[in-house]
Amino acid sequence: MPNTEIITKLLARHDTWRGQSQKPIQRSVSSGQDEIDRLLKGGWPAASLTELLVQRPGIGELSLLLPTIKYYCQNNHLSVWLDPPYQPHAPALATAGIALQKVLIVQSKTHREWLWVAEQCIRNNALLLAWSERKAPSYTDLRKLQLAAADSGHVAFLFASSKQLPASSPAALRLEIDSVDEKNLRLCVRKLRSMAPGEQLLIPRGKNLGPQTSLAKLPVNNIHPQMPASTDIPRIKTAEQRLNA
Amino acid sequence: MTLPTAAPAKSAYPEKIWLYLHFPLLPLDALLDDLKDQQQHQNPVAVICQEKNILRVLCCNNSAKQSGVEPLLSLSTALALCPDLLTMRQQLEREKNAMQQLALIAYSFSPGVIIAEQGLWLELSGCEKLFHNYTQLLQKLHQALLLQSTNVDMGIAGSADAARLLCRSGFRCELPSSAELEQQLKLTPLSQLNTSRRQQQSFYQLGLTCLGDLLALTRTDLASRFGTGIVEQLQLLLGEKPCQMARFEPPATFHDLLQNPQGIFSKQGLLFPMKTLLQRLSLYLQARQCYCRALEWRFEPLLGEPSSMHVTLSGSQNSWSNLLDLSRLQLERIDLPASIETIILSSDNFVDGIPSGVDLFGTALLGTALAEEESSEAAQLMDSLRARLGPDALWQPALGRNYFPEEAGTVVVPGERQQLRTAHRGLQPLWLLPKPIAIQIRHQQLFWRQPLHILSGPQRLCDNWWQNNQQRDYYLACDNQGSRYWLFKQSDTGRWFVHGLFS
Repeated sequence: MPNTEIITKLLARHDTWRGQSQKPIQRSVSSGQDEIDRLLKGGWPAASLTELLVQRPGIGELSLLLPTIKYYCQNNHLSVWLDPPYQPHAPALATAGIALQKVLIVQSKTHREWLWVAEQCIRNNALLLAWSERKAPSYTDLRKLQLAAADSGHVAFLFASSKQLPASSPAALRLEIDSVDEKNLRLCVRKLRSMAPGEQLLIPRGKNLGPQTSLAKLPVNNIHPQMPASTDIPRIKTAEQRLNA
Repeated sequence: MTLPTAAPAKSAYPEKIWLYLHFPLLPLDALLDDLKDQQQHQNPVAVICQEKNILRVLCCNNSAKQSGVEPLLSLSTALALCPDLLTMRQQLEREKNAMQQLALIAYSFSPGVIIAEQGLWLELSGCEKLFHNYTQLLQKLHQALLLQSTNVDMGIAGSADAARLLCRSGFRCELPSSAELEQQLKLTPLSQLNTSRRQQQSFYQLGLTCLGDLLALTRTDLASRFGTGIVEQLQLLLGEKPCQMARFEPPATFHDLLQNPQGIFSKQGLLFPMKTLLQRLSLYLQARQCYCRALEWRFEPLLGEPSSMHVTLSGSQNSWSNLLDLSRLQLERIDLPASIETIILSSDNFVDGIPSGVDLFGTALLGTALAEEESSEAAQLMDSLRARLGPDALWQPALGRNYFPEEAGTVVVPGERQQLRTAHRGLQPLWLLPKPIAIQIRHQQLFWRQPLHILSGPQRLCDNWWQNNQQRDYYLACDNQGSRYWLFKQSDTGRWFVHGLFS
């Protein structure tokens, strides 16, 4: 008689591949937005490395992670930003609800130091956000980080440029982010464990634009060709309009 | 019906149990580190000191004793008896250090420790509960002491002076009964008491040879005959008067060193002495119940400049293995002189330990326990990163007091607390360029790597007018592919700059 207990345990493990099954068998951390959770079948995969490949840095990839960072900081974990390209702006983080004492920015000087810091952070239960400008990490480096993440059971994020897409990588999730036009950001799943690649999602950018002035009055000629003129503030010409406004 | 059996008689000691430990080979043990070879321990070794222009043997080890060398022999006699005797000069400083180490070890067993010339007193009456019974206490004490010193003699009695009088060689782990003690006390010869020669002579003339004879006389007679000094001594001996000597307290700072005359040439070889020093530090921290915040290592070579290394801690770790890891990480970054002779560890920056919380009903506060564990993990991570990369590689974002973005979002050394929080309204970019970059205007279009289009309108920020008369209008702009930028226009010069990126 087959031993069902062992088989059940095996099937419950997160690294057993079940062909044709649509049910997600891996634990995941919610990303804070429902559409992304649906795209990734639950959220960012826990206990593994996630690679975010961006077409150009600064198109909106970090704001996708803000809810996850907030969740980790609330649960008393450090979030380590390794070699960020620019300086993180404290008021923006404070507005997003992230405790600033839990954010640590680390600058490394050599590639070996970068790798050491990344591995230490993952093994010590900190949330890692790593940028690698100096030298793209090789397959062995990524495998080391993936194993560290699997041991500690947390998520870790690595930012790279889309040129790294053809290189193979052991990360559990590879998400390509690029901007189709100014209105939308496109996420394309290039690799996700137990799922066929290729699914896409369009995320509209934030509509919150701040206080506006009449764009026609700007000192520089800059009305975007795609923005309709009706979004401009109406001009008050007659006394009646002034009274009614 | 059976009568309940009588409870076993409690220890018949009135209040106190005093243990006297005598270290006959203390001068030798203090210099033991110099003998690196195990074989050298088997060879005859003696410590010599100078007394009125004659060098005499102070103490010697067993193999020297077998050749006939004894304490108080002159050096020439000793060398004649044993030609290959290794002699070392007595070093009082190192003896004192060794005694401090032994006192610290004893302090972890009992709170009442008093240091004598070549011995220690411990007061054990309150320590039974911790160790379940005195036998276990004595066994553990013996094991701990053997790590530091080769030979320990002990004596137990109801008072400090009696314990010293009854000190015999060898270490026994059983408490003697009070009847035995009384017997032994009575048989102690009077020459061992601390009395003048005249008094000793009068004892002899009166036919008093041992303490029992003295105790048989009445106190008033003794006082009138020999003075009140004798009566006081008897009272101290019998435990009628409490012991007035000053207790040992762990010193306020920690300073310890290890010497290696042959010199250490590699960083690998440094690790073992560093481990020994850190173990002593952790014993000291345990005795004082505090955590260490900063350590200083000094490596001194025979010739040349010493080099020092500071290890800063977040104050939450006490264990010597963590401290050794951090010191090792930092050691990789510094250059050491060629051959190191002395390693010094010192620390004076301590913070009191906070016991983990238990609330009124005895249940441990789970929340705080977990929070403490996790924040100590975070502190450990920061410590090891700081040790490996240097303190200038770690930063934390902090809110500033001004509205101007470069002051509103500064980066500071981690750990500094922010005092003020100004509320920032409006959009704030995630990435800030520390220095705003000027952008050009081409064909009446803003251009920075790509043509930029403004999306929303100005937010004016002014700095303190007495410091800086700048006024900036901030705009949100985007480019063809949709990345958003934060631009500003200086109102006095009319130039445009890029200040931040929305990501």
